[in-house]
Amino acid sequence: MDTLVNVAHGFGVALLPINLLYCFIGVFIGTLVGVLPGIGPISAMSLLLPVTLSGTPESGIIMMAGIYYGSMYGGSTTSILVNIPGEAASVVTCIDGHQMAKQGRAGPALGISAFGSFIAGTFALIALMLVAPKLASVAIAFGPAEYFSLMVLGLVVLTFLTQGSMPKALLMACIGVVLGLIGLDSITAQPRLTFGRMELIDGIGLVPVVMGLFGVAEVLLNTEQAIKRDIINTKITHLLPSKEDLKASAGPVGRGTILGFFLGILPGGGAVVASFASYALEKRLSKTPERFGHGAIEGVAGPESANNAAAGGAFIPLMTLGIPPNVVMALLLGAFVIHGLQPGPLLITQNPGLFWGIVASMYIGNVMLLVLNLPMIGMWVQLLKLPYNILFPLIILFTILGVYCSSNNVFDVYVMIAFGIIGYFMRKLGYEPAPLVLAFVLGPMMENNLRKSLILSQGDLWTFVQRPISAVCLAFAMVLLIAPLLPALRKKRELVALDEGA
Amino acid sequence: MNDQTNVKLRLSNSELWGGVIGLALGGFVIWSGLKLKLGTINDPGSGYVLFYTGILMCVFAGSIIVSAITEGGPTLASRWENVRWSKPLLLIACLVAFSVALEPLGFLLSSIPLMLLLLRLIDPVRWTLAIPVAVLVPMGMWWVLKRLLLIQLPSGLFGIG
Repeated sequence: MDTLVNVAHGFGVALLPINLLYCFIGVFIGTLVGVLPGIGPISAMSLLLPVTLSGTPESGIIMMAGIYYGSMYGGSTTSILVNIPGEAASVVTCIDGHQMAKQGRAGPALGISAFGSFIAGTFALIALMLVAPKLASVAIAFGPAEYFSLMVLGLVVLTFLTQGSMPKALLMACIGVVLGLIGLDSITAQPRLTFGRMELIDGIGLVPVVMGLFGVAEVLLNTEQAIKRDIINTKITHLLPSKEDLKASAGPVGRGTILGFFLGILPGGGAVVASFASYALEKRLSKTPERFGHGAIEGVAGPESANNAAAGGAFIPLMTLGIPPNVVMALLLGAFVIHGLQPGPLLITQNPGLFWGIVASMYIGNVMLLVLNLPMIGMWVQLLKLPYNILFPLIILFTILGVYCSSNNVFDVYVMIAFGIIGYFMRKLGYEPAPLVLAFVLGPMMENNLRKSLILSQGDLWTFVQRPISAVCLAFAMVLLIAPLLPALRKKRELVALDEGA
Repeated sequence: MNDQTNVKLRLSNSELWGGVIGLALGGFVIWSGLKLKLGTINDPGSGYVLFYTGILMCVFAGSIIVSAITEGGPTLASRWENVRWSKPLLLIACLVAFSVALEPLGFLLSSIPLMLLLLRLIDPVRWTLAIPVAVLVPMGMWWVLKRLLLIQLPSGLFGIG
């Protein structure tokens, strides 16, 4: 009963005209960046982070959330029609989605992707409503040791799932922690690694780092080769899947939704992992696995549902524990902090309007996306024809402006350009930026919790093992760190390792 | 990978260079941590986490170096093989020039040439399209930010923008 009252309260907040407008802007921009290759949800969210300052916290966060799950919808359009994933979570949709389009079945592929996404998004929201308050009440009992160990687990999971060698990913995570510690020490107020520059006293901003590593570096990589687009030119019809298509997709949508939701909750996981895992599961369960890769609708329905369910599930650790499970959620945490809010176990009780308003707006956003994606598919296809040589200077200009506007400081533009160049060379040498960014956000929190738990336990390191939740997290982290040393597990890791960069 | 692109103990081994840079950074972080004071385990100081993170960095960088020597790695040149390496280089040069010019020239006078250079140098767009885009987009953005959102953009020594 309480949940229903809270949901009604949430809809009251989400249906305010201003919040509806922000929700629409969010899902529209999300679809747009999902459709356009070369700019993903991370770049778009960091670009629009300063815009959230102008409205209420609800409006800003509703818009940011809209960009995230909107990009999951939009990403499938480019994957199916152009064979270029609009964002990383849609990589796997290219395999069968584009084959379906080549066989003249672009309509059903786009249709099932939108319906699957809608069903998964709805399920994830209902589960979020039921799970989050319960987890938040448990999380109140968490101490600094539990928080520290959870963050360590999150970072280790992400490094485990990152493409390339594990030492490289771990090195990136360590560099992220160090970058996050630049500025005044929160306990002793001693400046660290500031090199005498006043601009670094408050540390390096998240926006220039993310925009540099993901926005500018991505453009630099894309300019290396002329992007050729194989756009399906035939008219897209029959967006409503046939009875056979629906029958074939029901199982993959259901399994993808549940799998995606749980993988989304896991720290370090997220939409990308979920979509790959769902594809692998469907291929394994299929009686005709040889159809996969040649236009099997199950290969579109499962991953597309999984990535949307994961996008919803990822809100749980952020909202209940205050720990972002991936880079996108780290940016959302930035939006909370900008408004002086701290997501965590007390958010739901102290700010029910905000929490339930965001949840309700996500449901409204899912409905908006269904309307935006199916009848307006022609418009998105037209947009795909915008040549990259015109698009990339615009992306560069928008990133410069986005970074400048976030702090009104030219120094941040220099930081972004520097990180753009560093990010380019990192990617060329096989170092993924995702662990660095997550560690950059978690680093100061990890340090704080580590030092607090050591002070509280009077230097007793056993405190991390004596507390059951902390011990379980550290044990999992240890297993994942050792896993790549075993050849069988190393092969498994290579199969699921992902490029989170896009 | 052929013999020319997979090398072991050679200076052209890109994996080796990645590890060496990581090791140098780790060493610097350890030194910074020591300089900031480690404190005690009961009361960790400002350099405590930095010091141990630096040690971890050295361990991971060391493991990258060992695997570069034992298993080999692609050469630096092979990382840029079959790609238009001059294009990102040009883009980097444009961005560096822009960052130097931004404060003295202001937003408009630095972003219009930047846009024009990007539109013409990388994958050339015809002049009749490049000029209007390079002029109108920064001016439009400037107008929205400065007039509508009242965000102060750098106006430079000439006070334009």
